[in-house]
This record gives sequence, C-alpha cells and structure tokens, in this order.
Amino acid sequence: MLGRLLARRRLSPLVRLGPLTLYMLIFFVIPVGTFLLYSFWTVREWDVVRVWNLGNYREVFTSPVYPRLIMRSLAVGAVTAILSVVVVYPLAYTLVFRLERYRDLILFLLTISLFSNYVVRIYAWRSILSANGLVNYLLMGLRLADGPRSYLIHTPWAVVVVLLNVYIPFATLPIFSALLNIERDVLDAASDLGANPVRTFWQVTLPLSMPGVMAAFSFIFLLSAGDFVTPELVGGINGMMIGNAVATQFGMVSNWPLGAAMVFSTILVIVLALAAWLVGQRGLRLLRV
Amino acid sequence: MSERAAVVRFQGITKTFGPVVALDAMTLEVRRGEFLSLLGPSGCGKTTLLRTCAGLESPTRGRVYLESQDVTDWPAHRRPVNMVFQRWALFPHKTVADNIAFGLMIRRVPRVEIAERVRRLLELVKMAGYEARYPKQLSGGQAQRIALARALVLEPKVLLLDEPLGSLDLKLRKEMQIELISIHRRLGTTFIYVTHDQDEALTMSDRVVVMNHGRVVQDGTPTEIYQRPNSVFAAQFIGEAVLFRGRIARVGSPRCTIEADGLLLYGQPRPGLQVGQEIVVCVRPERMRISTTPDPLLDNRLQGTVVNTIFKGAAVHYQVQVEGAGGPLVTVHQNLEQDLPLHVSGSAVHLGWSGDSSMLLPP
Repeated sequence: MLGRLLARRRLSPLVRLGPLTLYMLIFFVIPVGTFLLYSFWTVREWDVVRVWNLGNYREVFTSPVYPRLIMRSLAVGAVTAILSVVVVYPLAYTLVFRLERYRDLILFLLTISLFSNYVVRIYAWRSILSANGLVNYLLMGLRLADGPRSYLIHTPWAVVVVLLNVYIPFATLPIFSALLNIERDVLDAASDLGANPVRTFWQVTLPLSMPGVMAAFSFIFLLSAGDFVTPELVGGINGMMIGNAVATQFGMVSNWPLGAAMVFSTILVIVLALAAWLVGQRGLRLLRV
Repeated sequence: MSERAAVVRFQGITKTFGPVVALDAMTLEVRRGEFLSLLGPSGCGKTTLLRTCAGLESPTRGRVYLESQDVTDWPAHRRPVNMVFQRWALFPHKTVADNIAFGLMIRRVPRVEIAERVRRLLELVKMAGYEARYPKQLSGGQAQRIALARALVLEPKVLLLDEPLGSLDLKLRKEMQIELISIHRRLGTTFIYVTHDQDEALTMSDRVVVMNHGRVVQDGTPTEIYQRPNSVFAAQFIGEAVLFRGRIARVGSPRCTIEADGLLLYGQPRPGLQVGQEIVVCVRPERMRISTTPDPLLDNRLQGTVVNTIFKGAAVHYQVQVEGAGGPLVTVHQNLEQDLPLHVSGSAVHLGWSGDSSMLLPP
C-alpha cells in the first residue's frame, strides 16, 4: 500500500521525503518550536505562565551581561572555527595528496580521540593548562617564565584552545572527503594547461574543496559557540559563554522562558550577521561588474 | 628543421610502477603535423607514454625531446603540449568560457584577446553559445568538445589525446572521429592519439604505432599494418584474421607450401624461410571466397561446413568449420554486390584464397 502511494507521481515532494520530514518534525521542529513559544511566556513563582510578552527578550538585550556573552560566544565560535580550518586543511591535504599510504591509519588515530569522553578530554586540558600543569612546567623548565603563567587558563583563549582540540576530528572529515572527491585528472589538467602547483591550488584545489571547508567551519562554529562545558571548566569568569547562562536558566534558576529567549536572541544575531554578509557579497559582486 | 622533422622524440623510455614495467625501452619519433595513433590493449603502456610527453609522468629511464630540446625534467606546466583527458577533466567550478580561458589566464594574456580566442575556439568545436554553461550541464560529447577547445586554445606544439572518445556512444564517436580529422587538417597541429579501438586508429591516423607490453610491435600507415602485419599480435589487433599454425613443408618459387594440421596451404615465399620452420598463415576474412564448388583459380582450397551465417546487410559473415582432424573454425566475409543465395548453416562449402593473400607470420 505504501509502495502504491509512493509510486503515485503527483505526491508532493514533502510527502515523498516523508521519513526525513517526519524525523525533522519530531526531532527539530517540535522541540525548537516549543522553546520558541516558551520564550514569549513568563515565569511566576517557578511556574511557567502562558502570558504572551516580549519581556524575556527585553531582559536579554538590556542586560549588561547577556549581549556580551552572546558576542563572546560568537567570537569564540568564529575564532575556533577559523583556526580549526586553518590547522586541519594542511593535514587533510597531506593525507589526501602526500601520505596516501598512511591515510587510513592516520584517520583512524584521529577518530580514536573521539572514543574518549569529551568531558574527560576537557579535564585533561584543564590539568595541562593549570598553574602547575604541563605547559607551565615546560615554560619554567625552559626558563621562558619565572613563575606559573595565569593567562593560560580561565580566559576565552583557553576555551578556544580546548575547543579546537576537542572538535578537530569534526573539521578534518568534511575537508578530507571534499579533497578526496577532487578528480586527479582535473588537477593534472590544470598543470597541463600551465598552472604551477601554487596556482593549481588557488585556482582549482581550494575552490573545489570549499564545500568541505564551509561544512567544517559550520560544524565547529555551531558546536563551539553553543558549548557550555568547556567554558565552565577552563573558561573561568572571563571565559563564560551564552551556553553557561542558558544552562543556568534551564537548571538552577528554572526560568525556561528566559533561557529560551537567550537561545533565540543568539540565533537572531547569527541570522542577522549571515544576512549582512550575504548582502555585502551581493553588493561586492555588483560593484565588480 | 625540415617540415617532416621530429617534433617529439622518445628515446629509450622505460617506466616502471613497482614491479610492473609499463614502458620497456620505448623509442619513437613523432613527425611534425602528423596524426599518430598509439594503439594497443589496455595496460600496454600507451597512456603512460602520452603522460610522459605531457610531463605528468616522469620516465624511470630515457629522455623525451620536444623539438630537439630535452624536456625530460621539465614539469608539466612548463611544457608547450596540451592534453585532452579520457574523462574530459573540465573544471567543474568554472563555466565553459572560463575553462577554455584557464590556460590563457595563467599566461596573463590580455582580457580582450582571451575573449576573442575563446570565441574562435568555441566556433571551431561548434559550441558557440555555450559560454556560460557549467560542465555539469553538458552532455558527454559537448564536454569533450570543450576539453578539446581548452587544450587547442593554447596552440600546443603537440596535442595529446587520451582515448577522448572512449566514453561516448558509437554514433557520437563516429561523428567526433570525422570532426577530429577535419580539425587536424585545418590546424595542422601534431596529434598523438591513444586508443585501444583499432577502427578509430585506422579511420583517423596518418601513422599507427601498435604497442604491447610497453614496446612497439609495429609502426606504419594503417594500410601497411593491415596489409602487412609483422606479427600475429598486429594481425589480430588490427582487423580480423584467420590463422593457421603450421610448418614450412617446401620452399619453392613462385610459392611455398605450409603444412598445418594435415591441411596443405600455399603462400608467397620470402627470404629466410626454411623447411620445417614453424610459421603462422594469416588470411583476412574478406580475402577468402566461399562457394559450393571449388574454385580452380585459387591455390588454397579447403572444404568445410557452415556453422553460422551472420547477415550484416552489405555483407555476410560465415563461420565455417574446416574439415580435417585439427580443422579450425574460420570466419569468412562475403560482400553482397549481387543477389547471391546465402549458404545456410549446415551446408557444405568450399573455401579458397590466392597464395598472395596468405601472410606468413612468425609464430
């Protein structure tokens, strides 16, 4: 019966993508939609009251703290994403084009780090960066510092370093597979047509691997900007991010509407930033023509 | 340098990939302006030789000369030769116009000139109007034309073509063959064409180099190779061949006798033949006459039974089981210039051919 239903031509694409639509509905649209509703409600004496209002948003944007947390989260996300792409691209490139023989082994080693729990890895970094941790030990041992450096931990930079480490496998795979999908003949054609290796890279390899780069960037940006465990453990006061504030609202304070409003405020800022970027691109293209 | 001077010279090229020998001390000269085909089964080293010329592969031993200059150590991007790849290898992120313009842009040719040359090349390959398309929006034949234009726009000293028609269907392949020939005539560029398709090689080339196991088997014009193959391999690779393995029974003049599994065959003697020597008699199927009565004018006469009759329109192909203990199954072609009654399978027939048509090949 399902077969006959699927065989009918006039079914709308929405129905033909049925399973996917259902999945998105259950695991994305409904939960996110629910919290969108929450963000317009309010809390009275630890109970959610369904009174429609924009008070939560007003509180988020007029607070001295939350906008800074949002901006810091986006900045940490962006910096981590950019750094991870910069670090990972040469690695993926080498794996695909230079170390074909060890490719599988190295990829395996890389993903093996995912086998250990993420919190465990963060704790490991916490001890590496701490006042009597490995980095300070080395700095002092090499006489590069006369005492423990406190800036190593409890700063946004510490958050970036740890996030970078934790999420690098997620950045490697998309770039790796994008590079792997480039036909060797296309690269041969570029050099046959007179492009030296550097030009071949900029004109052909990089543009063709851009989808992978964008995917890696998005993964790392979203995972990092939304993280709240890493800032909690290595960020300190100055490394707090919006995720921590949201977690507090949903946990200790039990103010779900305010927490939801923080989430959607952050999303709003990202969407506005993206829109501005796209408009800017369009403008640049128009200027060039 | 004379008009027919060598534009490319491969001097003792050996290329090994681990234990595999792709090219074995291969020496070959390519003359200016000729359409040369490298023909051979897959794995015979023809593509490797082509890539050695492009600089995409460096030989293990030997030198490559381009217009008497040793270019063996030049990287691919500095060599004034261009290649058309089997699977086209167009840049998927660039439009048709940008694909063709790529090499010119690298050479910093002024924009106006690039536009003009791209336009001319698109006209040459009959693809004007497709400038803004992306490779994904092209059919196989169209993509191949663009790949051709992209390579030709740089006016290479030699155009290298690596089985460029291999992935097109038969009809399109025939069309493109004719078009490649006409482009070759118009531009006068030297073409080195790699193919495993003997029909393609025969149709297009001025000269065919038959290769096997990384060596040259035979080098000559299509007619030379078809009419005077120097080996069983060449005879079988180009055209169809009926083979009889045997020994020289008598060397006489004007003909010599070969005994093959009890059959007596006759051929033209050539110097150096000795009685008892093993030899292969090779006959082209269209040189054989098939009839219901023996033809006294033909010195080779065999009897047999038709096993299969394959009607091809302009001709009939018969598979005939030759009589005798080791009688082989042979294919005979009969042109239908007039309405002849066809020999149906099972009928007894006589086969005959003149001794001139027996090619004696080393075993």
